[in-house]
Amino acid sequence: MEESLQSVSHRMAKPFDFAKHWFAAKGWKPFAFQKEVWAAVKQGQSGLLHASTGAGKTYALWFAALNRFAVTRPPATGKRKAQAEPLTVLWITPMRALAADTARALEAPLTALQIPWSVGLRTGDTSSSERARQTRRQPTALVTTPESLTLMLARADSETSLAHLRMVIVDEWHELIGNKRGVQLQLALARLRRWHPELMVWGISATLGNQSHALDVLVPQGGGINVRGQTAKELKVDTLLPPTAERFPWAGHIGLKMLPHVVAEVDSSSSCLVFTNTRAQSEMWYQALLEARPDWAGLIALHHGSLSRETRDWVERALKEGQLKAVVCTSSLDLGVDFLPVERVLQIGSAKGVARLMQRAGRSGHAPGRPSRVTLVPTHSLELVEAAAAQDAIAQRRIEARESPYKPLDVLVQHLVSMALGGGFIPDALLAEVRSAWAYRDLTEADWAWALGFVRHGGLSLTAYPDYRRVEPDEHGVWRVPDARLARRHRMSVGTIVSDASIQLKFWSKGGGGKHLGSVEEGFIARLKPGDGFLFAGRLLELVRVENMTAYVRRSTAKKAAVPRWNGGRMPLSNELAHAVVERFDAAAHGHYDGPEMQAVQPLLQTQLRWSGLPTRDHLLAEALKSREGWHLFLYPFAGRQVHLGLASLLAWRVSQQQPVTFSIAVNDYGLELLSATEVNWPVLLNEVLLSPTDLLTDVVASLNAGELALRRFREIARIAGLVFAGYPGAPKSTRQVQASSGLFFEVFKQYDPQNLLLTQAGEEVLRDELDIRRLEQTLRHLAELKLDLHMIERPTPLAFPLLVERMRESMSSEKLSERIARMVRDLEKVADNRKR
Amino acid sequence: MHCSVTLEGEELWLMAEKAVYWPSRRCLLIADVHFGKASAYRSLGQPVPQGTTTENVQRLDRLLSALPCEQVIFLGDFLHGPGSHASGTLSALRSWRERNCGLSMTLIRGNHDKRAGDPPADLRIAVVAEPLLMGPFALQHEPDAHPSHHVLAGHVHPVYRLRGKGRQSLRLPCFQLGLRISLLPAFGAFTGGYAVEQDDGQQIFVIGDQAVWPVR
Repeated sequence: MEESLQSVSHRMAKPFDFAKHWFAAKGWKPFAFQKEVWAAVKQGQSGLLHASTGAGKTYALWFAALNRFAVTRPPATGKRKAQAEPLTVLWITPMRALAADTARALEAPLTALQIPWSVGLRTGDTSSSERARQTRRQPTALVTTPESLTLMLARADSETSLAHLRMVIVDEWHELIGNKRGVQLQLALARLRRWHPELMVWGISATLGNQSHALDVLVPQGGGINVRGQTAKELKVDTLLPPTAERFPWAGHIGLKMLPHVVAEVDSSSSCLVFTNTRAQSEMWYQALLEARPDWAGLIALHHGSLSRETRDWVERALKEGQLKAVVCTSSLDLGVDFLPVERVLQIGSAKGVARLMQRAGRSGHAPGRPSRVTLVPTHSLELVEAAAAQDAIAQRRIEARESPYKPLDVLVQHLVSMALGGGFIPDALLAEVRSAWAYRDLTEADWAWALGFVRHGGLSLTAYPDYRRVEPDEHGVWRVPDARLARRHRMSVGTIVSDASIQLKFWSKGGGGKHLGSVEEGFIARLKPGDGFLFAGRLLELVRVENMTAYVRRSTAKKAAVPRWNGGRMPLSNELAHAVVERFDAAAHGHYDGPEMQAVQPLLQTQLRWSGLPTRDHLLAEALKSREGWHLFLYPFAGRQVHLGLASLLAWRVSQQQPVTFSIAVNDYGLELLSATEVNWPVLLNEVLLSPTDLLTDVVASLNAGELALRRFREIARIAGLVFAGYPGAPKSTRQVQASSGLFFEVFKQYDPQNLLLTQAGEEVLRDELDIRRLEQTLRHLAELKLDLHMIERPTPLAFPLLVERMRESMSSEKLSERIARMVRDLEKVADNRKR
Repeated sequence: MHCSVTLEGEELWLMAEKAVYWPSRRCLLIADVHFGKASAYRSLGQPVPQGTTTENVQRLDRLLSALPCEQVIFLGDFLHGPGSHASGTLSALRSWRERNCGLSMTLIRGNHDKRAGDPPADLRIAVVAEPLLMGPFALQHEPDAHPSHHVLAGHVHPVYRLRGKGRQSLRLPCFQLGLRISLLPAFGAFTGGYAVEQDDGQQIFVIGDQAVWPVR
């Protein structure tokens, strides 16, 4: 190896097969897919590599780049460090956490191969001094995130600093394609392609149900190729069964009932990951495991996105080194470098999707010859059915598709300001560029004019918003940001990840400057008083005081503790999984209970059948109940919580057109509940007309205006479009005078500027994402083919119970506000009178 | 529509327009108008539609024409911030002042007024520091207890979540009358709210559909 490299170094400035040498030196044999990528990149082609988790993906692309662009050079002998090659390759990763590991992997072969390249890192965590150093001396390859890339493009000298760029590699593309971060990246790529028409763009993606779409979005100009990685390794899925299904809860999502069994499973494996669906759940499980096995202190750890970077780094390192028996985690460990020692994965509660479950399963069994193994831990009875269904779907490889968002105007508005900062823009040229991004390929002149008007005047009409100007054309017609203060604010707000205002957690110490623990949402801390206990980072803490957006805490010995709730998005059950679930119910309705999960849940399903009925392939199950709370309707279309929300709003709207009524709406992945305090005659009202797809769009739009859904959606849009400013970190309180909630904005827009397109977008997004109008229509057409099976029930059935106890509720009303207030005040009086008696 | 209550022996009218009228003194109490909040946002690059100032002024006019009023007392946060001295906002206020030139007006300086600066002299609003003692009441911006007087204050922007059967709820601006401290709702059209609870000895009156509703 040494000798051959010596001889290589004399043939400077010639293309050289670094891959062959490196692989030979390591004694590796390249996979077919790696050779395929190397050959394609040699031809200057773009493309997408689909590969399940496992080694080989990074080097498939990295050596392709090295082979194509790098030349060797002997080590410099002089005192001055040789200048590295200019910035040639951008490596985009969706997670900051992955960036450092990726950079290390890319750096590994450079020295041995005498390649004069350097690898840099630029994410939200990169210090300003390091960024300044990168500006002076560019790395040859830069590992960065979509947000940091946009920020680079928002610099006035961006074109010069990216003048030598040849290739962009997008890692974990499946994590980006379906969301607005991906759209932000599409726009950035459009800009890079305008500067460099020959730019090669490659994606690395896990297997998706729609691979060609994933390629089209990444390489919209066409000509990209799909490369398939080695086939997924063996995957074992099983379920941890409760001892008796009768005593198993009918609803809930924490699942601590299964604690002893999980303890036993963790005990018997050398190292495992315990996935939970929420941060709060991970805190509770970690605490419960420690209480059950105090001897595991130091052997088990907790990992979620709100913990401090330091803590997470430590956990990841310890996991890699095999020091940990178990890590309780959230989707924070879905991605990332492989943890070789992990033997198996436990999934608490529903994984909600086939792809997600496979991804999580793939985090285990990386040691040679070992299969990936995931064990499902149901948190309530019905998840036993889901566990059986998930196994069916995985066996049949029914994997979900992910689609790019379509024309999100908030991202476009943000991009316009970024581009105005990045040297300014001329509208016509920028329009062509924006349209070359897949998501905006159909952008109309009207949309464009609105977006320009919005950044210039805040609205479409010239006089709509006095005192307001964000972007303005200069005397040469180049649009720029005239106000340095606004420029700084914009740079702080770039990105499409929306979170509630978060507050930092630190240990209290007299001199200040205690250890940083992580962050929680401001709303949670606001509900606590000093002295109150809560659980965080696996510790029982007590609030000491809050100042300057920091909550100071100390360890607590209290017995009672709150658990922070983070308002993360709730994943809906995927279509693929929902279908598989209905198949299992259908089988049960025909008396088939195959497999241990279905046998365990059999008594419960028989109860359901006795009190009501079972949903089947050709029956739509509905249940009507009169309780102390009022009149309930339960309906089970199995179309996922988003469609159920749309369907519930639609039904509520249609009924409310026939009689003044107020509904409280609850949904889950199986069905929906409409609850009213006044009588609704469901056996008469629930019929084909109520469930008809006719006038669907009109009715859904009308139902939106009557409900609160659009407001929720507006929160995200307002933040991305720059309406609501999250604030400077550590800024003094006075900046709060320009902070208003998006809810307030929403009300003001609705009342004073109802034509505002961001409102329209909120409505459209609710239709498409939240309510998913296309799926709603398909669902209604499907439901029309089913036979309605309505049961009057006397008590909540196993299927109804989880809906009954669901606390997240929407409301919809056609009653006059004064009537609603009068009724509620009257109810309060009745309660008060009863208490007196 | 209003709701008449007796507090410290004085009759007070809780107005659905989010104000308190004190008949024996012919006095209107208004908290947290936050004039010029929208224009302050706009000057910082946040687009907020026009119309909130007009709406505030119209509601004030409605109150003044319906009630025999001799003075108006603003319980703080009359102007929102330094960016609120925008020409549009101020000219609307001036013409409103001219229409009501016979009224005496007083502002009890609130936290926002301290940053925004006092209103321009031609608006002829006397500016005083809290508390302003008047009869049994200490008129203040901040709801801090007063040793001898019942405090009427703003600052909090109280809202109350009314809950009913069938898991229904409504979030409404409210008056919160206590034993020593009582709160007025924020008057301004572009202001948020802070949820308050009903503790012992407190009475909540919610505002909805142009009416004031006592909550037991």
